[in-house]
Amino acid sequence: MAEIVLRDLVKRFGPIAAVAGVNLRIEDGEFLIMVGPSGCGKTTTLNMISGLETPTSGEIRIGDRVVNDLEPGERGLGMVFQDLALFPHMTVFENIAFGLRVKKTDGAEVERRVKAAAEAMHIGALIDKRPSECSGGEAQRVALARTIVNDPSVFLMDEPLSSLDAKLRLDMRTELKHLHHRLRATFVYVTHDQAEAMTMADRIVVMQGGRIEQVGAPLEIYRRPATRFVAGFFGIPTMNFLEGEVAAGGEGDGPAFRSTRVEQPLSASTPTDVAGRAAPLGVRAEHVRLVPSDDGGGRVTLTEPLGDETLVFFEYGGAAPLVAKVDPDSPLGPGDPVAFEFDREWCHLFDAEGGARLN
Amino acid sequence: MAEPGHPAVVDATAPARGRLPLGRRLSAWASQERVFRLIPFIAVEAVFILVIIIPFILTIYISLLRWRANRPFEQANFSGFLNYGRVLAKDEFWMALGRTFYFAGAAVILELLIGFVLAYLLHRHIRGRRLYITIFLAPMMVVPVVVGYNFSMIYVDSGPLNEILAPFLEPFGIDPRIRWLSNPFAAQWAIILADVWQWTSLTFLIFLSGFAALPQQLINAARVLGASPAQIFWRVQLPLLKPAIIIAVVIRSMEALKMFDPVVLLTFGGPGISTQTIAYYLWQEVWVFSKYSYGAAASILLLIFFSVFIFFGIWLLVRQRESVRRVDVDI
Repeated sequence: MAEIVLRDLVKRFGPIAAVAGVNLRIEDGEFLIMVGPSGCGKTTTLNMISGLETPTSGEIRIGDRVVNDLEPGERGLGMVFQDLALFPHMTVFENIAFGLRVKKTDGAEVERRVKAAAEAMHIGALIDKRPSECSGGEAQRVALARTIVNDPSVFLMDEPLSSLDAKLRLDMRTELKHLHHRLRATFVYVTHDQAEAMTMADRIVVMQGGRIEQVGAPLEIYRRPATRFVAGFFGIPTMNFLEGEVAAGGEGDGPAFRSTRVEQPLSASTPTDVAGRAAPLGVRAEHVRLVPSDDGGGRVTLTEPLGDETLVFFEYGGAAPLVAKVDPDSPLGPGDPVAFEFDREWCHLFDAEGGARLN
Repeated sequence: MAEPGHPAVVDATAPARGRLPLGRRLSAWASQERVFRLIPFIAVEAVFILVIIIPFILTIYISLLRWRANRPFEQANFSGFLNYGRVLAKDEFWMALGRTFYFAGAAVILELLIGFVLAYLLHRHIRGRRLYITIFLAPMMVVPVVVGYNFSMIYVDSGPLNEILAPFLEPFGIDPRIRWLSNPFAAQWAIILADVWQWTSLTFLIFLSGFAALPQQLINAARVLGASPAQIFWRVQLPLLKPAIIIAVVIRSMEALKMFDPVVLLTFGGPGISTQTIAYYLWQEVWVFSKYSYGAAASILLLIFFSVFIFFGIWLLVRQRESVRRVDVDI
């Protein structure tokens, strides 16, 4: 069993609370990804799980043990570091064998397990090389082999793909997901890349300012962001936001969102207590519909063809331009006048003060 | 030089040049592009030739003469390799050389050990770290003459060293007025310890920066893999500090082989010749006994001996540095 439970976890560095009270249950065998901007406390949280940082207060449980006072090596977990942290003075073989050697494992056993781990990561041919002679992707596999050889029940990964080039990063994502399926171990993975989180995670933890903003499955986080921060953090391009207020529905028509330039009908399921409040509206680019029109109030500023679709940025007189995803064969170009409309089922309303979701 | 393409320019400046004062003409000449970019090289080459090449050739020349201070330089006869043969046949030369390696070896080993231990203790963030570092670096900045003089005061019969030892010696009936610098063995170690006191600072500094350059992530990785602090030290930190250790050995050996100041200030080579280092021996032959040619020949021989020794060290160093550089680029 390698369920991990964090209870009221706090870490202070002087006056700054890097982690300000985190409560989280990580299920056995789960691929959990912690994501957030720099300084959100995700790496500190991971380091506290690993034992490299000592919590200021709170409790960490792995399986049925409270591990607060255990050394990192006694917690039965493996870790892959951001810069991989391979030992430069050792061969690949000795790097992988390190964890077994310090536990005084028998020589033949070391040989057998290192070979097996290297084969599993397809680096059997590199075994006598030094880390400096390995490519980025190979070094990545060595770091993983060094971890899996010890057969940990928990894998901690601190932005392990950030040193790779874009193409290799995509390949390694797939490979890590395969590895997770094969090992059935608990993976706790830290990244600032929301795309990485979306593609690999069973569940995502979004953190900001040392606190958890939302925990949920990738699609749930994408479709129903719990806060304005989460809504803005996930998705490419960034969600459109409009400042305005919600007007109560009258006879015959439902509630609506009003700003100086836009009046947008909202879903009938919008809670009635939202009416009359200032509430920023968020809407993703794929839920914006554009029609060429001379009196729609919008004007295209630029287009970005992505191949399977095209992003159209347009001015509407508000603070920031909006963006819409359209068919790649759309004839719209810079300067064209457009009319726009949002899909009312996919309009997200947030509290103007705290940013919490309202609908 | 008149370029065919630009006759007008040449004509305009040529007559004017003669009327300019010398300083202006010189600066005009020096600010031409082809001259100006050579100026740094000219300066460096000039200094190099003046202070290195000329004295070096002169030393070789003098070593081949029979010249002592009692005779004018112009009347010195050419004597071929006579002086070299004399130096190599002289017992005092070999004894001084052997003693120098003994002093340097003992001093450098102690400096490495103590410097390493101090750096290990201070490489982590502990209370008062900056204060300790400042204190441990101070001896290096003291003028060697002052260090020698201070140690000569420490070692005198009624000096502080004997004062401290007295309570431990008197109960056993030992006279606490030990004359440290009169016993050959004690005098040798008095000099070695003075050198250790001053230059442990340097090895400490080298090792401290070596520890600071070790990536913390490597140590974290070793911790997560279950290594104890001792295992981390022997398997990760020490192997990665090898370049720093070799740098310290080479730099300190180069200096310690020239050990001179503490000998002059503490013992003047005595008692007898028991603390004569090779630098002291050379100085005495040349400046006390005025044997210029003999001294020149001995210097050239020493240059050859020490070069072989130091180049071996540098060869080790470069080999290490290359393996480390490859790591830096890729990881």
